[in-house]
Amino acid sequence: MSPKNRITPYAFIAPYLIAFGCLWLIPIIYSFSMSFFNTRARPWKFDMLHNWGRLFEDALFLATLKNTFLIILVQVPFMLALAVIFAVFLNSKLLFLKGIYRFAIFAPIVVADAAYAVIFRLLFNDDFGFVNQLLNAVGIADIAWTGSSAGAIALISISLTWRWTGYNAVIILAGLQSIPKDIYEASELDGASRFTQFLYITLPNLKPVILLCLVLSTFGTLQLFTEPTLLTEGGPGVSTTTVAMYMYQQGFKSFNFGYGSAIAYFIVFIGLGLSLIQFKLLGSKSDA
Amino acid sequence: MANVDIKELRKNYGALDVIKGINLSIREKEFTCFLGPSGCGKSTLLRMIAGLEDIDEGTLAIGNKVMNDVPAAKRNISMVFQSYALYPHMTVRQNMEFGLKLLKLPKEEIELRISETAQILQLTPYLDRLPKQLSGGQRQRVAIGRAIVKRPQVFLLDEPLSNLDAALRVSMRVELARLHEELDATMIYVTHDQIEAMTLADRVVVMRDGQIEQVGTPLELLHSPKNLFVAQFIGSPKINSFDVEVVGNHGTQVTVTGQAFSKPLTVEMANAANLSSGTRLTLCLRPHRLRNDTNLEHQITGTVQLIERLGSESLIHLDIGLPDPVISSSEGTAPVRRGDQISLRFSAQNCLLFDTQGAALPRKLPADAQALMGTDAQHVA
Repeated sequence: MSPKNRITPYAFIAPYLIAFGCLWLIPIIYSFSMSFFNTRARPWKFDMLHNWGRLFEDALFLATLKNTFLIILVQVPFMLALAVIFAVFLNSKLLFLKGIYRFAIFAPIVVADAAYAVIFRLLFNDDFGFVNQLLNAVGIADIAWTGSSAGAIALISISLTWRWTGYNAVIILAGLQSIPKDIYEASELDGASRFTQFLYITLPNLKPVILLCLVLSTFGTLQLFTEPTLLTEGGPGVSTTTVAMYMYQQGFKSFNFGYGSAIAYFIVFIGLGLSLIQFKLLGSKSDA
Repeated sequence: MANVDIKELRKNYGALDVIKGINLSIREKEFTCFLGPSGCGKSTLLRMIAGLEDIDEGTLAIGNKVMNDVPAAKRNISMVFQSYALYPHMTVRQNMEFGLKLLKLPKEEIELRISETAQILQLTPYLDRLPKQLSGGQRQRVAIGRAIVKRPQVFLLDEPLSNLDAALRVSMRVELARLHEELDATMIYVTHDQIEAMTLADRVVVMRDGQIEQVGTPLELLHSPKNLFVAQFIGSPKINSFDVEVVGNHGTQVTVTGQAFSKPLTVEMANAANLSSGTRLTLCLRPHRLRNDTNLEHQITGTVQLIERLGSESLIHLDIGLPDPVISSSEGTAPVRRGDQISLRFSAQNCLLFDTQGAALPRKLPADAQALMGTDAQHVA
């Protein structure tokens, strides 16, 4: 191969590599290195544990971490259970106009964050919101959706569930459709009822897909920013301030880039750790 | 074990009739094959017996009990699927015990049945493996094992060997024959592979377009096909067909001539045939009946167009000036080459005659076929 020919393939991939390097690789490495600098005053000083050590002593950070985990624990399992039910419903042979239902369930994902947040703020307004009026109508007292910690966590969980259930349902539906029909027939001949089939055939075969949704949703919620910012502004107090919001506050409001970076990378490591645990707990040899 | 009785069974998908009034009695402990080209309805018929397809009309009885509205699980049948349909997330043992657990059998009974079945099918070392850790043949055996452990009245097998390679298919065929012998079970086997049907079945049901063309033993189908479709479908390579015309009819002897033959040939019939001179017929001759034997009275002459050397036999394609070549199955070492001008000989007694509607004219069976089929099988049923 002539030297010219040897260079040609690299020339073709160079634009991508340059863009990847400038926009991804360098910022990733630079921001990670930043987390080892004290950036509170110029010039920035290298201090290995200044930011990383602070993470574990910062009560506010630990509170935001707790909030984030609370939302993950409350919202993700509920949303995935709902997504499985929707997917099974969409996959039913008895359902007519499947396309319409599929679109309806998937539609929330295409609505702009800000637009749906405005509507949710109105719907869940503590004083004149439609939801509280509805609750009153059936004899339930007003819920302080934005005025209480529990209400605010519930509001964010409901909005996340509304927005992301359809997305997960469509992924799970694809998983459902990939389960061979004949194993259902074999189980029918074995005497399995519909419910037994769901428990012993559908769920085990959906495990890899549900695991994927679980990992994606956990990562997504770890980065949760839009909903608490627009719906509750992290309040009341800091009861719905998430780690991602705190990172934003530190990095871009207080301009403490080093600490912001440390928080960002902490989120990444937590996400990786959680995913590994989920794979370990739920993954099996058959999914490997 | 049970018999299966099918009366006027019909099935349609909208305007499309796929099963068009089938009547069939399958005896207890019989190995029956449904054989036919793709789309003939054989798998649908099997699935109707299994309870996986609804019956639109007619009755299905298993063990003299009408099963039309009995759910699949309660028909006491087992099915082996073409794709094996093993539960991918369960081990071999779990695959086999799933149905037994649902039947709520005692644990000891389940253990006993599984160990017995695993032994019969040589699956004992693989009981704790997942299906994906098994070879195709082993998976097939697990599928069969899952059917056996239930000890059903009837086994249904839907093209169970079609996903296996040629060598494995032959050994599994032998294994299935052995299993039938051992289990003494009623088995219904769907295939489009006539070799499987001919080697395994006690009786073969040949189907076309949702209807039964003929039911008979493999030899009956081969030597006494009821119609031209069966004659052409059964036997490999395909039977040779020629247009002929009746030139003489002397009771049980019919004389015909045709473009392919150098002189008229006289076929002995089972009964006096009511055929006048000039009647057009189709004469069929199996490739293995055409040979290089000067003792035989008739001959076909042509140019060798193609030779397929298959080892123990050679298929010689002979161009005799008709649109289709004549095929002869000769010995593997037949000393012929492409382009050779050769004559192949045959006996008129080995010819089959069919009328213009394709129905067979009952012939007197040649001595060798008679010997094979027993003396009572003198002619076409």
